[in-house]
Amino acid sequence: MSGENRALLLEALRDPAILGELDLKQWETLIREARRNNLLPRLAFDADALHLESRIPEQPREHLKAARAQAIAHAVAVKREVRFIDRALSTLGVPVVLLKGAAYLMGDLAAARGRLFSDVDILVPRSALAEVESALMLNGWTSLKTTPYDQRYYREWMHELPPLRHHTRQTVLDVHHAILPTTARLRPDSAKLLAASRPIPGEARLRVLAPVDMVLHSATHLFCNEDVGNSLRDLVDQDSLLRGFAGEEGFWATLAGRATELGLARPLFYGLRYARVVLATPVPASVLRAAERGRPPSLSLRLMDAAFLRMLRPGQLGQGSGAASLARGSLYLRAHWLRMPPLLLAYHLITKALRQEQAAVR
Amino acid sequence: MILRELSRQTLRSCLANGGVRLRTGPIVTCIRSRCDEVLNGLALLYADYPVEDEGSFADFHAAIAPPRSVRRWLRPQISFEFDGASPFFPLPADQAFAALEWGLNWCVSFHCHQYLIVHAACLERTGCALLLPGEPGSGKSTLCAGLVSRGWRLLSDELALLDFATGEAVPLPRPISLKNAAIDVIRAFAHDAVLSTPVHDTSKGSVAHMRAPLESVHRAGELARPRWIVLPKYRSDATTSLNPLSRGRAFMELADHAFNYDLHGRRGFDLLADIVSGCHCHTFEYSALDEAVTVFDTLSATA
Amino acid sequence: MQSLSVPRWRSVPRDAVALREFDGEFVVRNESTGNSHLLGLLAGRVLVVLLDARGSLDAAEIASHLDTTVSPVETGEAYDAVEEVLAEFCRLGLADIEST
Repeated sequence: MSGENRALLLEALRDPAILGELDLKQWETLIREARRNNLLPRLAFDADALHLESRIPEQPREHLKAARAQAIAHAVAVKREVRFIDRALSTLGVPVVLLKGAAYLMGDLAAARGRLFSDVDILVPRSALAEVESALMLNGWTSLKTTPYDQRYYREWMHELPPLRHHTRQTVLDVHHAILPTTARLRPDSAKLLAASRPIPGEARLRVLAPVDMVLHSATHLFCNEDVGNSLRDLVDQDSLLRGFAGEEGFWATLAGRATELGLARPLFYGLRYARVVLATPVPASVLRAAERGRPPSLSLRLMDAAFLRMLRPGQLGQGSGAASLARGSLYLRAHWLRMPPLLLAYHLITKALRQEQAAVR
Repeated sequence: MILRELSRQTLRSCLANGGVRLRTGPIVTCIRSRCDEVLNGLALLYADYPVEDEGSFADFHAAIAPPRSVRRWLRPQISFEFDGASPFFPLPADQAFAALEWGLNWCVSFHCHQYLIVHAACLERTGCALLLPGEPGSGKSTLCAGLVSRGWRLLSDELALLDFATGEAVPLPRPISLKNAAIDVIRAFAHDAVLSTPVHDTSKGSVAHMRAPLESVHRAGELARPRWIVLPKYRSDATTSLNPLSRGRAFMELADHAFNYDLHGRRGFDLLADIVSGCHCHTFEYSALDEAVTVFDTLSATA
Repeated sequence: MQSLSVPRWRSVPRDAVALREFDGEFVVRNESTGNSHLLGLLAGRVLVVLLDARGSLDAAEIASHLDTTVSPVETGEAYDAVEEVLAEFCRLGLADIEST
């Protein structure tokens, strides 16, 4: 992707120092792009880290202030939720591994700075799933998806219990026993992930994935997930994790090997590729060479490049160009393909489409 | 410049192309639309509001446009769009201006977390602010419109913006939305009030908007310290009565009616507690607007 | 020797609570739960006692902290009232019985 005509948001993410050099019109554009990609709080924290407040005009500064307050509130809420989850599962003696945002936050990682969170995701051994579900239900969580179809979809076809919502706090908890569905083509071994997981300093029971696994999970989530609307945000996660772990001993040396071991060489290839191209993430040449193992056939790669890079160019605002929304559509299809065998896929998409139609009719 | 300085043609053209950068208090919204209802509504109810030039900073980009989906309906529809996306379901096209008003409220209440935002009317007299938190149906908008027609300055009819640094209310004067019976009540109460043509069959019944008084718009830069918190309740056969409300209960009402109290955590608690400690707090029942206005006139003397 | 151990109570940590008194009522925000509450005079004072305490307290100790000049009859009533408040605090997540 060439350097000229890069969206302002990407420039700001690659080089936060420019946040001290923007005029009002540029701020107006940047705030819209950032907000659309759930990255406005991230910019606020980047500006804070460089002490740029006095160089930002007053009106945009108010938006950053609002976004900062929002991110802080999210972090407080996630920490609180993690406490409740810990308390509910404390007597089970089962390893509970926090995933994604909650892990970044509790692990005090840079990836958590300025991040907005939605659900909390945890990984537990498959054998413990039933007792974990019971313990959570006893403590006020109830199943979100209640139609028999949805229950089947989640339990039999996907990789998690149906999402749980706490009845008073209204927070959502996703309990996984694998990071990808059991019906998917890629089957990273959960036992290996659990075995390599690490305790969180100051926490008696809660754990997080090992650094390489956290990066691989993030890459997998990015390229195999349904919710492609958050792609740039997910890529920012990837970039933050890679930069954050770069100094950790053994991280780069073991990353590609671990990817192959878990069957995740393809997602790692894509993750490194797009992080470098879009966000200029520094990756050692030796790691890139090793990650070549995951290179897809050239046609697939070209399609992926086209769909992804168009998707990640945040320039389309308001005018919703047909190409961009098509790109979004094709990414959605791809995510599903990776997760479910074709027959099941068709059934699911048709049913989902029908129910959305019904919901839309007032 | 102010909006009335634009010719109708220029206004129409701006709305259809680059948008009109309308200032309401601290917020500038770039509004785009090709709907006549929006054009007429702006021309009538926002005539005295500042319009910023293209080079200025817009806080939000809003549009009222036909919905993007290809679905065919018998009646034409419009959608409120924020940055090209529609947070809401489409509405009948004759509700276009009401949709804009609701959309502008949404922009502020959903995003402006630099303030603590309470769902309340906010007015000023003798330099002090009155907060009227209320459920829909409590009569707060009617009361607000009535008071504003009798000398109170309008800060807002829906969104009380509270400033963390000073504990003051920040004006966001915009048209006052009136529903159903309130429309006729206000027409009768304030003969020179400027009201939009009511639209019917909205989810809230019939809706019209009353123009904010000129002075309220001109003084939009003047903050005011809250001095009274009153919970209004309209009841058709009620005797007008103002009763004491404990500060503790007033606090809980404000927190309950705030859009982002939880978001602000401890800071929000402290701000509301500080504000409440400086206020006289009451509940208020009424059926006759002129009696209500008298009560509040007396109240305003107790600063 | 204690035949039946009397429950000893602890409030949530002091730094998790914001508290203000207005004319005999207390508004409270509990960061542990994210909830805010309006407490009456007795409940508010019980909470203050618990927040100020260095260790855990049982209901009788709390009652005695509330007023040092009550008669035995009044103390008994105070004790019952305090127990009710504590049960409510448990439900609200403001206080809990110390597990031994």
